[in-house]
Amino acid sequence: MVMSRKIKVVMAKLGLDIHWRGALVVSKMLRDRGLEVVFLGNQFPEQIVEAAIQEGADVVGLSTLGGNHMSLGPKVVQLLREKGLDDVLVIMGGVIPEEDHPKLMEAGIAKVFGPETPIDDIDSFIRERVPTYNQLFSDV
Amino acid sequence: MTQSNEKLFNQEAVEKIEQEKKRWYEQLVKTGSDDESYKTDSGIPIKLLYTPDDVKDLDYLKDLGFSGEAPFVRGVYPNMYRGRLFTIRQIAGYGTPEDTNQRFKFLLENGATGTSVVFDLPTIRGYDSDDPKAEGHVGAAGVAIDSIEDMEALYDGIPIDKISSNIVTHLPSTTVVLLAMFVAVAEKRGIPLEQLSGTTQNDFLMETTVGSSLEVLPPRASFRLQCDAIEYASKMLPRWNPVSYNGYNLREAGTTAVQEVACAIANAIATTEELIRRGNNVDQFAKRLSFFWNLYNDFFEEIAKCRASRLVWQDVMKNRFGAKEPRSQMLRFHVQTAGLALTKVEPLNNIIRSTIHALAAVLGGAQSLHVDSYDEAYSAPTEQAALLSIRTQQIIQVETNVVNTVDPLAGSFYVEYLTKEMAKRIKDYIQLLESKGGIVSAVESGWLHREIAEYAYQQQQDIESGKKKIVGLNYFPSNQKETEIEVFRYPEQAEAIQKEKLAKLRAKRDNAKLEKALNELRTKCHEDVNLMPYIKEAVKAHATLGEIQNIFRQEFGLWQFPLV
Repeated sequence: MVMSRKIKVVMAKLGLDIHWRGALVVSKMLRDRGLEVVFLGNQFPEQIVEAAIQEGADVVGLSTLGGNHMSLGPKVVQLLREKGLDDVLVIMGGVIPEEDHPKLMEAGIAKVFGPETPIDDIDSFIRERVPTYNQLFSDV
Repeated sequence: MTQSNEKLFNQEAVEKIEQEKKRWYEQLVKTGSDDESYKTDSGIPIKLLYTPDDVKDLDYLKDLGFSGEAPFVRGVYPNMYRGRLFTIRQIAGYGTPEDTNQRFKFLLENGATGTSVVFDLPTIRGYDSDDPKAEGHVGAAGVAIDSIEDMEALYDGIPIDKISSNIVTHLPSTTVVLLAMFVAVAEKRGIPLEQLSGTTQNDFLMETTVGSSLEVLPPRASFRLQCDAIEYASKMLPRWNPVSYNGYNLREAGTTAVQEVACAIANAIATTEELIRRGNNVDQFAKRLSFFWNLYNDFFEEIAKCRASRLVWQDVMKNRFGAKEPRSQMLRFHVQTAGLALTKVEPLNNIIRSTIHALAAVLGGAQSLHVDSYDEAYSAPTEQAALLSIRTQQIIQVETNVVNTVDPLAGSFYVEYLTKEMAKRIKDYIQLLESKGGIVSAVESGWLHREIAEYAYQQQQDIESGKKKIVGLNYFPSNQKETEIEVFRYPEQAEAIQKEKLAKLRAKRDNAKLEKALNELRTKCHEDVNLMPYIKEAVKAHATLGEIQNIFRQEFGLWQFPLV
């Protein structure tokens, strides 16, 4: 029997970054669209990865506006891969200069969402990239 | 203030106007053009047309009066901008203190009339640059300050006895340390403390509500430190504004204009109660309390907000707290134009938006102004963008003639109606906060966090649905390619430089003296005393910001930020 399971997102403010509005609103709106979102508040990479393991997350969402994306973002991917979580999708959002996007993607961040991204874009990107659940549990 | 009971409008004439308005409406106005869908940004219904009937009870001398006199609705100074133009105060801060010192000098040479510094995230949240948690944040988004030596470097060559220094400290727990450092630097330079003018932000809502973090002090501890800095300054720094009640960031996080002002004034009310409890006279400290507003898109509502905030504050200070001195009843405020209103798409449009916000601030009677730069959705402002923000203000100051008469929108039926309505709604929300036990309790319970989160969510839904229109985004969406824009890069070597400075400092300082000062501070955390003098001793003994903050964390404990 196939159990219904929602796509699970662990969302965090990266490191000391302050403004929680964006991360919180995106969390709520992804919930509206049927995803399960655990909002961690502020955390450093080690704790984010730990939470991703405990929660069995499919997706890790990182929010930052304060300029720490290059130093802390890739570290989350690296720690996830070290723990053998190769399939967890890591996405970022916030104020992140365009020219850093390729570097972040090279480091394993699947996508960087800038200000004004419609939530539907984030939602469909996640559903595209977490295909197993999309196909099996299209009820969400 | 002269007492009077005279209505500005002849009541018979008002009645006639109303009758004529009915006739006009029925004969000429198309149905549907006066329906209820027209509302201000904070939800006040807007009529198609206002007449004296909407402000028929207005008593000029009692309700409006003159600038520089109660109820101060027309402005806090008699001469307003003829006497002193609003201060052009652009935020600067990045890299090492030496880097920011250079930006200060650039802005001053180009006409800024005060400095305004913003700190990096570790400094804002009280971590030293060599703390593992600071990694990747040092000198990014603000300047790094670890010790008194950094504070000296930051203001090197800046005449802090002549121009005002705005120190955007955000949190009370770091304000007490950074203010102590600033005072100690002035003493070292031989500047009498009564000559220091400037502002520290120092708002416990910034520590516990507006921003989230890993390690947050309990609201009551943060509120106590906020009051410590205010009380200390009221005695030692007669020209210092020890607090800038930050409505701005509440608004950015997610509130209406009404909630923005109400929360800030509720915090000022709580402060006043606490300082009176400590035995201070209201007139001793109230005159230095200052405010910080966010000017957003709804032009007339924002102007009315500025006017209404002065009205509410005057009423609170005079009638609730019995303040006698006029200055204690004056609400003075800094404005920053709304960051939230700026778009990433077609960034040059932001210049227009910020200019409209800035004009509203000036028509609202702001004391100082920061105009957001058009590139803020991309990075911290480049030098060129920061210069444009100064130019915007200079153009308003000298080319438009708007500064040369006081409160020019007074007497507009609409603006007067809105001012009255905003004041009423602000008072109602203050009452609601007090029914939750006051601002500190409303934070402790997470009630205020929920209010903010709910509004932010609603706003985003309105943008997504197109109900809230944003040019270039959901209204005539831009088909421009991603704009090529120069991005400001933070100096990457700041972290290494700050770490090296800290290593040297830790090696050379007198550890016995340091320990003594820190232990003294630790003990005093548990007594009903003002901590400022003990913090000042500690920074003079070369205690770092992070070391002092750690004492607060250990002695006051940490608080679980209510995730919403």
